[in-house]
Amino acid sequence: MSNLFVSVVLCLLQGITETSSRADIVKQGIRNPDLSKFLVIAALLFIIGVAGVLVRRNIIVIFMAIELILNAANLNFIAFSRYLQETGNLNAVAGQVFAVFVIVVAAAEAAIGLGIVIALYRNKETIWVDEIDLLKW
Amino acid sequence: MKPFCPSSLIPPPSSLNYMILSGWEAVFFWVFAVAALVTGLLTILARNAVHSALFLISALVSIAALFIMLGAEFIAGVQILVYIGGVMVLFLFVIMLVNVGAEERGRDLIFNSAPQVWASTILAMLLAFGLVYAIHQGWEGLHRRDQDVLRQADAQRVLAQRELAVAATGTTRITRETERVGSSLYRYASLPFEIASVLLLVAIIGSVMLARTIKQEAAADDVDPEVLRETAATEEQG
Repeated sequence: MSNLFVSVVLCLLQGITETSSRADIVKQGIRNPDLSKFLVIAALLFIIGVAGVLVRRNIIVIFMAIELILNAANLNFIAFSRYLQETGNLNAVAGQVFAVFVIVVAAAEAAIGLGIVIALYRNKETIWVDEIDLLKW
Repeated sequence: MKPFCPSSLIPPPSSLNYMILSGWEAVFFWVFAVAALVTGLLTILARNAVHSALFLISALVSIAALFIMLGAEFIAGVQILVYIGGVMVLFLFVIMLVNVGAEERGRDLIFNSAPQVWASTILAMLLAFGLVYAIHQGWEGLHRRDQDVLRQADAQRVLAQRELAVAATGTTRITRETERVGSSLYRYASLPFEIASVLLLVAIIGSVMLARTIKQEAAADDVDPEVLRETAATEEQG
């Protein structure tokens, strides 16, 4: 019984000392941002992009949100490429090569997508996605 | 005696001394990170599509700065040239071509219906919490796994950096990152590289085909004569 009590007290003590050390870690993280901060920024940009795609009605702004999503993916690629460099991995620039291809695909996607927007506007006179419902039954 | 504790209370390894940014670099990191997030948010909230495009350009510039901080100068340059010089100019041209001036017409017109907006917002919040938590946990695990490798590679990198050529200003050294990206792109990724060039060709032809007017389609003898007659009739009526 006393054994359990001691262990619980030790656990709480550890928790208390750990909260102060955790604050230190947070402070340290702000002063010296590491890979995880880049990943968090990329994740938040991705979420902003997804929210933009879901929320907006203007098809051009939806395309811009998609560009934001692709850039978030690029940021992840570059961040992990940097991390692999730090670990001394030989093939560390693979992430940067991937990022180049993502940019190529994004450019192609933007050209095709905006061509579709122009054709759509010529035929339907609208750029609101909720009014483009020809395939909806 | 080892006290029983849930694993979340065991402190993470205290040797989180391995960091990649410090000093002014850290300050600029936070400046550009916050700028990227705020301008990204303004991109999807701006009423006018032109404002959206300009905010997106600022977000892309901030992300390019983050790329530079990660040591990817080449990608940052490509980002500026291709995205801001190419894609965003294309966006602005299309906005000018199809602008319908909805921004003057009231708040509810730029967003979907209110329930959809609320559902998306809640979903985005949940996703944000989940992702941030997952990244935190994953980073701790990754760091714990790679600690020894990181320390070893750190010593080696210091040695390797000493051998790099000094830049003309004498304060920094010329890194070999871009060189390595180039050789990797042409050696290990040469097949995807060729596929990408075909993809760009397809995109060029496709966008030209898509954006033709009915007159251009008729000139290329590429349209049903009945459809052509109908459109001519409606144009006369209009």
